[in-house]
Amino acid sequence: MKFPLARPALALAITLTLASCGGGGKATFPINVMVSGLQYPGLVLSTNGQDLTIDPPATPGAVVTAVFPNQLEYGQTYEVVPKGATVVNHAATGGAQPKHQNCSSTLFPPYGTAGQLAKIDIRFVCSILAYPLTGKVVGLTGTGLVLANGSTAATVGVDPNLDANKNPQDVPLAMNAVPYNTTYGVTVLTQPTGQTCTVTGGANGTGGGTMDDAAEKHGSVDNLVVTCVASS
Amino acid sequence: MKSSILRAGVIALACALGLSACGGGSGDLYLSGAVVGVTKDGLVLQNNGGDDTAVVAPYTSFQFGNRVSTDDQFNITVKSVPSNVATKDDCTVNNGKARANYYTIAQISVTCTIRKRALTATINNLTTSGLVLINGSDKQTIPARTTTWPMAPVNQDGAYGVTVLTQPTGQTCTVSGGSSGNGSGIMGETEATTVTVTCNP
Repeated sequence: MKFPLARPALALAITLTLASCGGGGKATFPINVMVSGLQYPGLVLSTNGQDLTIDPPATPGAVVTAVFPNQLEYGQTYEVVPKGATVVNHAATGGAQPKHQNCSSTLFPPYGTAGQLAKIDIRFVCSILAYPLTGKVVGLTGTGLVLANGSTAATVGVDPNLDANKNPQDVPLAMNAVPYNTTYGVTVLTQPTGQTCTVTGGANGTGGGTMDDAAEKHGSVDNLVVTCVASS
Repeated sequence: MKSSILRAGVIALACALGLSACGGGSGDLYLSGAVVGVTKDGLVLQNNGGDDTAVVAPYTSFQFGNRVSTDDQFNITVKSVPSNVATKDDCTVNNGKARANYYTIAQISVTCTIRKRALTATINNLTTSGLVLINGSDKQTIPARTTTWPMAPVNQDGAYGVTVLTQPTGQTCTVSGGSSGNGSGIMGETEATTVTVTCNP
């Protein structure tokens, strides 16, 4: 009786408190997205019937942050995947990936239930696709051949029989995979015993080139030829 | 009352003895971790200034000989580095100092940065533009009339192989030199390695 306004004031306070939880008493959860390593356009992320196009950052190397247009309500489940991806046990493959890149969220789960965590924070990491650099070695009769593509060296393995009978044979050759838009140049680092080898093939005919659109379309550079002849 | 105090004291003493027995370097936790950036012998790690442990091929992990017990203080430091790493400061121990438990002993790693050496191309008779030299993914466009050009530095003891990606207009250039004679080789310990590019009209 001493505080006739106490009860209405309390009611008002409760109403205000509830309202502050977000839009008429219902908590909602924005779906925040962080994408790192993105260099090319084409990535579209999708969840709960919403699409979010992620463009490369203005500053190369910067992390892109974005938020899906609509927030989720408490208890709604979500799973953020590249649009159209095939999802098996929360593992997404394919979908609207950027050109020349693959983005995945292997470090942090991109799925859950709104309200499970204080904040929905989806992270995707993008890497440049790499394609095989392969070919063959012709006329090799022994061990010792080491090829290099810049800093990556590859020893060409030789069948022990071949090494024993010195009967020249073609041996498959596989260098490290080369990322898109990166150059490659294969050279002979160490010649095999008693032979001299030269490198041909690749885009420029001498074992060099760029993993460009044509090579990407082909799926690899597979025309390296290393020809070995007896040393004079 | 007296007997209960006595009993508590005896239990405390027994606990203390039990705990101290575990702290003598033969506990049940292996002190180990990942190694990144090491390509040859020479990296030796220490724990609390002792228990020297050499990192051996394939140079991807280490494990100290002495085990530690839960709550033991460990402090992993670098005693010596491989010859292609400049100083001890170039090998960093991550999460190397803590009290041992299943969490802390799973967080340790050592990362070394290999010393890089200059790789220079000496260019003869280049009169036109268009020459592009590559060393793997390192691509350098060489202006006309250039006589010397720095390629990107190369890890000491690492491979390199300089080739012509694109010939200059109207000229044909070939690469020689380097430790294999054809523009490729293994970067040695000298400060600078030079390959020679010779262009013909």
